[in-house]
Amino acid sequence: MLKEILFRNKTNFQFVFATIGALIGLTALCLSFQLMLDVQSFHSGEEDLFGPNSVVIQKKVTKLSSLGMNSTDFSDKEVEELRNKEFITDVAPFESADFRVAISEVEGDGLPPFYADMFFQSIPDRFLDLDVDWDWNEESEYIPIVLPRDFIMIINYGIAQSQGFNQISEELMLAARLTIHIKGKDGNTKMIGRVVGFSQKISSILVPKSFLDHANEKYGSGNKIQPNRIFITTVDDSYGELEELMEDMNLDIAKSAIDVAKIKTIIGVVIGIFGIAAVLIMLLSLMGFVQYSQLVLSKASYEIQTLLRLGYSIKMIVKTFIKQMAITFGIITVSAISIMILIKLLIVDVWLDENGIQLESSSLIPAILLALICFGIFVGANFLNVKKTVRNLGE
Amino acid sequence: MTIEFNNVLPFPLQEYPHGPESVWKNTFKIDFPKKVVLNASSGKGKSTFVNTIYGIRQDFEGTVKIDNADVSDFTLDQWIELRRTKLSIIFQDLQLFPELTVMQNLQLKNELTNHREEGRLIEMLELLGIGDKQNQLCKNLSLGQQQRVAIIRALLQPFELLLMDEPFSHLDENNAKIALDLISEETDLNKGGFILTTLGSYHGFDYEQELNL
Repeated sequence: MLKEILFRNKTNFQFVFATIGALIGLTALCLSFQLMLDVQSFHSGEEDLFGPNSVVIQKKVTKLSSLGMNSTDFSDKEVEELRNKEFITDVAPFESADFRVAISEVEGDGLPPFYADMFFQSIPDRFLDLDVDWDWNEESEYIPIVLPRDFIMIINYGIAQSQGFNQISEELMLAARLTIHIKGKDGNTKMIGRVVGFSQKISSILVPKSFLDHANEKYGSGNKIQPNRIFITTVDDSYGELEELMEDMNLDIAKSAIDVAKIKTIIGVVIGIFGIAAVLIMLLSLMGFVQYSQLVLSKASYEIQTLLRLGYSIKMIVKTFIKQMAITFGIITVSAISIMILIKLLIVDVWLDENGIQLESSSLIPAILLALICFGIFVGANFLNVKKTVRNLGE
Repeated sequence: MTIEFNNVLPFPLQEYPHGPESVWKNTFKIDFPKKVVLNASSGKGKSTFVNTIYGIRQDFEGTVKIDNADVSDFTLDQWIELRRTKLSIIFQDLQLFPELTVMQNLQLKNELTNHREEGRLIEMLELLGIGDKQNQLCKNLSLGQQQRVAIIRALLQPFELLLMDEPFSHLDENNAKIALDLISEETDLNKGGFILTTLGSYHGFDYEQELNL
């Protein structure tokens, strides 16, 4: 009966308006939050190997460099400068092999016979995140190798056709062993290597640092080699600073390598704007509900005053009122979560799948939590407002 | 329950002269249970007196005490608790819910206090001659009928003091007497007392104390 008395003079227009506003606002807020989390966690398979914010930088090769008048090496001072940049959290110059290397197939492992000159480089282990054993020591069965993904493309769609041998699948490449031919200062040696992963970001042939250090010492000429490529890790959303650095130092960064960072930054900004708009809509609808409550309460002021005079407590009146509001907010919250899940499953996930983007974790739970927090804020804000208004009417 | 007035004078009544017998600007104490009548002509402050004891009006100088506690210190929650358990009232303007039926108006109070069975509600309605009106909206009743609904509603709670502000102003003498008998009976059942304000008629009742304005 209390409900009947309190809501007798309700105005449907404002209620419907505030409800629609809250539904749109909450759905948009959850969706943008969820998308933001998705964008933060999405990566191409590549990043599994190198972490999300790592890129390789090198100096552009110019006409002068071709003439030998302009080195593409990084001096110690330049490396130090990079280390001092605020948006760069980690710097690791590539180490190069100080000896000559070639690879060929291991007979019987399925690869066609071939022999190719090669080079080896290494980066600190902390930049690599491989499931396979990347550690190497003198007792190791083979030397783990990471190849550029383009390498296998060149073999399959270029060399295989022109040389007339069969194409090699990634699986075969990962399963087959390779013979490593090392030509150093103390003669030649052969070792066994194995491809453990492919990289799109690094157009280099990577081996464990432990192996390279050991081999350089054993087979190298002893000359100090300045690095010409550097691996850097940047803070999130630092695409702008990275662009600036590229300009300043005349750097070249593999375009694909910065695509993810770029996409993240751009989508992040777009979703951020969308999210801010959603927060504003939510605030407006919250104000709408607060005003709706005040209007309903002021229209029921005679009834509320009389109830308080009859002995009804403020708590009972507020509870009756808030219960109705909570049911409304509950329906809005459940609807917003449902719409968000539908959009996520039917549109976002399908799109991500079609574009070959995998997500590290589900962003649904945090988004649902956000919706529940909003529900709590709505109920809490209205509770305080209703309590104050009822008390004022009583006094 | 004890009601105590110490030099109480409502601000709106400051311009008027008050006699030595008046409750205003005087000091007195009433120990309930007791049946008290306050007989005064219009405009002397009968409603102000009732509403001051009930905590609706706080615009006065002096001190009002209920059970030795200064009412100016009472919070709204304390007043509400008092109104549910010790103080009941029949407002001069009735303060019914016009959009609710007679029975709904009574149940609204009875559900709060769980004081009487529904059968007793019907008995009281029939006793006051409005037993056939229980499902009618209050706004469709005559003032006299509404007054009887307000009287029954005031009896649907435990009380130590029942305040009645001209409760029979729209009733004939016979109906007023029936109502007053019912009120007196319920007051005794509650081991409580009442203060009845009236414009002149005593409705043939034998009061224990009379107050003046």
